[in-house]
Amino acid sequence: MKRLLKQPFWQGAIVVAIAYVVFKYLIGYALPIIGVSSAPVPSSVILQYMLTVFVGVLLYMSAEEGRWGTFQKPIKEAMVSRDQKNLRGVLMVVIPIMVGWLAYQNVKPSFAAPATLRSIHPAPPNEITFRGLPIQLTGLENPLHENGSLEEHLQVGKAIYVKNCVPCHGDLLDGAGHFAQVFNPIPADFTNSGTLPMLTESFVFWRIAKGGPGLPQEGTPWDSAMPAWENILDENEIWSVILFLYDQTGFSPRTWHEEGEEGGEEH
Amino acid sequence: MRKTVRRMVVLITGFLMGFSVVSGQDVEAGKVVYDKWCAECHGIDGLGDGSAATTMLPRPRDFSQARYQIRTTGSGQLPTDDDLRLAIQEGLPGTTMPGWPNLSGPETEDVIAYVKSLSRFFGQGDPPQSLDFGSDPGGGSEAIEIGAQAYLTLECEACHGSAGRGEGTSSPTLEDWRGFPIRAADLTEGWYLNGGGSVEDIHARVLTGLDGTPMPAASDAMNAGVVSPDEVWQLAHYIASLGSAEMPTLRDVVRVARVEGTLPTDGSEAEWEGVDTFYFPLAGQVIQPPRNFAPTVDGVYVQGLHDGVDIVLRVQWHDPSESPDPAWDEWQVKFMNAIDLDGDSLVVDSLEAPMVRPPDALAVQFPFEIPEGTERPYFLMGDARNPVYLWTWNDQSGIGAGRGRGLDSVEELPEDPVTGNATWEDGRWTLYFRRAVTMEGDGLSFQEGTAIPVAFLAWDGSSGEVGKRNSISSWYYMLLDKPASSTVVVAPLIAILLTGALGLVLVRRAQDRERG
Repeated sequence: MKRLLKQPFWQGAIVVAIAYVVFKYLIGYALPIIGVSSAPVPSSVILQYMLTVFVGVLLYMSAEEGRWGTFQKPIKEAMVSRDQKNLRGVLMVVIPIMVGWLAYQNVKPSFAAPATLRSIHPAPPNEITFRGLPIQLTGLENPLHENGSLEEHLQVGKAIYVKNCVPCHGDLLDGAGHFAQVFNPIPADFTNSGTLPMLTESFVFWRIAKGGPGLPQEGTPWDSAMPAWENILDENEIWSVILFLYDQTGFSPRTWHEEGEEGGEEH
Repeated sequence: MRKTVRRMVVLITGFLMGFSVVSGQDVEAGKVVYDKWCAECHGIDGLGDGSAATTMLPRPRDFSQARYQIRTTGSGQLPTDDDLRLAIQEGLPGTTMPGWPNLSGPETEDVIAYVKSLSRFFGQGDPPQSLDFGSDPGGGSEAIEIGAQAYLTLECEACHGSAGRGEGTSSPTLEDWRGFPIRAADLTEGWYLNGGGSVEDIHARVLTGLDGTPMPAASDAMNAGVVSPDEVWQLAHYIASLGSAEMPTLRDVVRVARVEGTLPTDGSEAEWEGVDTFYFPLAGQVIQPPRNFAPTVDGVYVQGLHDGVDIVLRVQWHDPSESPDPAWDEWQVKFMNAIDLDGDSLVVDSLEAPMVRPPDALAVQFPFEIPEGTERPYFLMGDARNPVYLWTWNDQSGIGAGRGRGLDSVEELPEDPVTGNATWEDGRWTLYFRRAVTMEGDGLSFQEGTAIPVAFLAWDGSSGEVGKRNSISSWYYMLLDKPASSTVVVAPLIAILLTGALGLVLVRRAQDRERG
């Protein structure tokens, strides 16, 4: 075993094997166990990574004349040595079969859904029409901050949320309402720090007022189950819900004083 | 399995807290949690009358009366703290009550204390004790057979039906203790059972009954000697065997396999045996008013086959009523009065009024043409710009086709050659469609090997579902198999031969060089 570990060929093979395990299993499946959010790596990306590792190993091995010689030795032996006749026979059968299997995997009929790309927070327009009246979104603030009692607005917003939004976005505001599993794209999770804190209240107003049908093409408006709430709720009701969303989750909205445009985040 | 582990954790934390916090449950702190998260459904005073309660059936629990369905205690008894904790942490599947993993351990304990303080019944006498559940004598075909007998002995069939889909003859009359209509559980879809779908869960519900509902406790029958403790366990095994505890895995492409022989000529079981079934959950149409907050149909089971000339689809779904059916008039009236109809004009809200009985219905939705890019019609029956092609059926006018330009704008396509039929048996509709794969004129031509968007919509007439008040799915895909292609065999063979030849050449050259 120790002798094997000193042999560059086997060192290289072990590095390649470890890299494969890391890309294929560790990143996608082991990290979530310790609480780091992650997802399985797509096979095309694994292939790219593995090619890089493979080329890297070859570069390292061939960088020094002596090492390159010892690296090649087991390969050469398998190909020419009289003692390795059996191994040679097995490899000559196994390797073509493996290649054939890979070829089969590529040509066999597949039943996967076509991939769709979708922008989760597309760039908002500068202006929208709300129930026929124009509203300037750029620089727009929630008017309820300056008007009436916050306490009352929050109560109104909560009642509206629980009756109208809970079926999809859930009682916990986590996007896991009792109907959530039916819809694709899945309802937004407001407890995610990548959602509400990244958005201005005017952006949230736009998304609520115009819903799925009001999305630009890159947001796949034909798939979204988000209603255009301007047909159901009035302006103040929408602003109340927005106050509730931020209050209940404890997040603060992005403000217009922070530089840069919000939205446009591609996924 | 995961559920079991989670339950163990819940039980162990509960056990530990039982030691540390027994007197540390803080009612005042519980009120803060309750007002923030629970009051909007359960009501500020716990009467189950929060502002959103009218959109929910079953209704949120009225804590003042302390009648709890999901308990480990005897019939008519209060629940234990563990029972309440489990309901809060895991929620009640099939209802609008979610689990609350966002609450910390102490917050959960405090809210349990507060919920108990909303009723005068807690805190009197000894704390409630779980029943002795005995031990499970084990499952297997023999146990299931005995369980099936107990199902008859205890008259489960009267409400849950002979197939267990809640289609029993008493089903339309059921109501809870507050007079709200209530469905007999569909025992074949264990993932929607309020107290969980495992054998242990089912046994606990059967033994202790669901207080406040017509579901009795088998412990009474057991004490009277009608059934033995083992038979109650075997009944639980039988019920579990009627379906599955877990929702079928959601796959987003319906594979329509190609057959060389004859296609099924109707929806009968014999013709469809062994054909892969795809399950799609449905939700109430809660996007455009009038919205449907409490839909009946919560999923469809879809199968498809083609022979290159014709395509056949079988769609099945559970519906305890074969609407229109006068036996369900009372249910319809009660239901329409109990649920928020979101401004819908009532189908009928009083038994005195002349009855209007809408039929059950289903639609399968496709685009008119296979989309070139990713764009497809609006999933909610299309819109004016981009209509959808529908295969429709309802229990009065039968099979047809239509052009949908929105939920309330469907134009019939009388020339469409789609045919089919539907049968209702034991609480389940089986719908069969057949049409040519390609067609001239208005309508989708299917193309083998190309993913085609598909979606489903369903209506239950006996719950007054008409027009926009229905159940909907999102877009999925349907894929018709191509004829077996020679590439699948030839390509790997060529790859094997080439690699083998290359290997031989390399080895030969290496050996030649070695010999020098």
